Amino acid sequence: MTDERTADDPVASTDGGTTVPTDSVDAVLDSLDGDGLSGYNYAYLDEHTKREVRRATLKAVAVPGHQVPYASRPMPLARGWGTGGIQASLSLLGPDETFKVVDQGADESVNAANIRRLAENTADVETTTDTTEAGVVQTRHRIPEEVLTDEQILVLQVPITDPLRKVDSSDAANRRRHAHKNYGKMWVHLYENVVEWGEINIASRYPTMVAERYLMDPSPIPRWDVPKLDDAENLYVFAAGREARIYAVPPHTDVEPLAFEDREFTVERFPDAACHACGSTDTYLVEVSEESESPQTTREEGGGEAADSSFETRYACNDSSFCEKRREDSDIPKDHHLDREGVDWGPGTPDNEEASSGGAGE
Amino acid sequence: MGYVAVTAGEELIERAEELFEKQRTAGDGEDVAVEQIDEQLGRLTSQAMSEAGLYAPRLAALAVKQAQGDTVEAAFLLRAYRSTLERYDETEPIAPSEMVASRRVSPAFKDVPGGQILGPTKDYTQRLLDFDLLEGDAEDPTEEWDIEDAGDPEDLTNVMELLREEGLVAEPDEAGVEEPTDTTREPVTHPPERDAVLQELARGETGAVTALAYSALRGYGQVHPTLAEVRIGELPVRIEHPYTGDEVTVAHAEVSESEAVVPVYAKREDPQFAFGYGLTFGRNERKAIGMTILDASIQLDGEDEPAENPEFVLDTVDGMDSFGFIEHLKLPHYVTFQSILDRIRAIRERKGLNEDGRVSTEADDEDSERDSDDRTPAAEPPVAEVSDDD
Repeated sequence: MTDERTADDPVASTDGGTTVPTDSVDAVLDSLDGDGLSGYNYAYLDEHTKREVRRATLKAVAVPGHQVPYASRPMPLARGWGTGGIQASLSLLGPDETFKVVDQGADESVNAANIRRLAENTADVETTTDTTEAGVVQTRHRIPEEVLTDEQILVLQVPITDPLRKVDSSDAANRRRHAHKNYGKMWVHLYENVVEWGEINIASRYPTMVAERYLMDPSPIPRWDVPKLDDAENLYVFAAGREARIYAVPPHTDVEPLAFEDREFTVERFPDAACHACGSTDTYLVEVSEESESPQTTREEGGGEAADSSFETRYACNDSSFCEKRREDSDIPKDHHLDREGVDWGPGTPDNEEASSGGAGE
Repeated sequence: MGYVAVTAGEELIERAEELFEKQRTAGDGEDVAVEQIDEQLGRLTSQAMSEAGLYAPRLAALAVKQAQGDTVEAAFLLRAYRSTLERYDETEPIAPSEMVASRRVSPAFKDVPGGQILGPTKDYTQRLLDFDLLEGDAEDPTEEWDIEDAGDPEDLTNVMELLREEGLVAEPDEAGVEEPTDTTREPVTHPPERDAVLQELARGETGAVTALAYSALRGYGQVHPTLAEVRIGELPVRIEHPYTGDEVTVAHAEVSESEAVVPVYAKREDPQFAFGYGLTFGRNERKAIGMTILDASIQLDGEDEPAENPEFVLDTVDGMDSFGFIEHLKLPHYVTFQSILDRIRAIRERKGLNEDGRVSTEADDEDSERDSDDRTPAAEPPVAEVSDDD
């Protein structure tokens, strides 16, 4: 197969979105500086692969929550380290795009830096750590605290694509269940959870119904972030490299976590805790054990460990780039960059206050 | 608890890479040449090539050197490189009987057409460390051999052919499609076609293929095959000439091949042996035989034994996948772990096990605590089992 053949392929112009004539691709490539990975195609992947990934993504957008198989390529990153995400990102990025990568909330994590480096070297994109400036954000297991807009795409790295894997390891059986919208086994699993533990003990990867049709694994984002999927302005693309599946939640889609009337969906609770750096109480916090010397302890943790008082637990914002903004201006809301206020963006945002505090208090 | 995020930038990554490379160069010995690895450590390069699905001995030697001998890492380097290469053409199918075999044994029959060829093998060597190798002055022990030219090698009739002619072996199903599946270009979906299974097994990690195949022999399965053939040799690589349309041989590839009959009779009225097939790049008999057992096992399509379940085998046999996902556990997991902490604390609080002295101030919590105390039975119920019914 050659580039020419595909560019002339009449089918490509009808079902592959906008056809890019080979000339213009060459022109784009020529206009780039030669400091990328020499010998490799623009954005690392060859154009056929990028087109295939984009087609899979379009199909995923058309059938929200449905897992679309695609031929995941071996990437120069280890599988399980964001190879699906980077394939989706590289297929979407162009030289004018601004790209942000977060790993577990942090731009400066080594793995995020590594993925950013690959995109920078091969796709010649601008990179940023500011969520509001990025066109494409690739993320591992977090949705940013700042509200995303309809001009942004969030690419989530996915380790395990099927929520039903919890209840049955067989892909064939689970595909059948999805086809029949047969989610009884998951409901039974949740019910058994409640019977055994008094509540649902699923921490992350919370099973979530998309557009009242497909049950979706929202990737291991914390439950805190799940409400942000519902009726959002932006497109969410979920991409798994190892398992070779792409799925999506398009803007303004109904997304509802499974729960019972008397055992509601709850997000993570941070009672009395605030970020030790910026003071936020409306963001997802993670605790850090540190040798105690700082006077600004927020809370002692863990009976046995507290007795050995050389360690203390502090809470910190997980979204490090938003935390930095809050440190400069502790009052900025999560929708500070928009021209409207009170945007519903998960726990701690105005329109959702009722639902989230109700959930968090349970 | 002391789990601290490893945060750093690109400089740290580069430093880490440099330290890794330093481990290779820090010793007093001379740098190993890629030629030396290619010529002297053929088993390593074979393994890397077969797991990568790319026949390129020199590149494999480079990958092995760069990976400091880690074959899965080397195969990974080759696969990542392979995925960026242009596909110029597809080769013509080759009959394995065309193989120029350097080794061929048939455990099924004492005498076979073409004869048994023991060839180069360690099978009967006593496993004693050879301290002469410490000196490292390579000598060719076959130098003094008195060899007469026997002419061109004959085509070896496959032992399976004899059995097939007699109608003793089930014929494989005709492939449903003209073009073979390529699992590097099409995702595997279940249930998979046999060509996809064979490709995935051929690229499987040697240790995983061996272990899963052994599980079938060890009793977790029904396949205990009789090998009809184990061969190592060179197969021609042929393409259609773009102008003349003739088939032309452009290269040779060394492969290990194995074929077996399995005394499992599929049809009651016409009992025939089941069979299995294995083929890998390079010299790797263990993997070829392992693949044969797994191919035979998967064709039985059982649900109960791991090696007979195609989903189980294909999901676990790939070195790149297992390597990546196992090692990803080293990445930070503090978001998800915080979420897990939240769940266990909530459940402990609900069960009144809040040891750290934190008293919940919210009425809701106390309510639910009482609530659960009422309902929690004295004996813990067993963790609910997942049943197989749909």
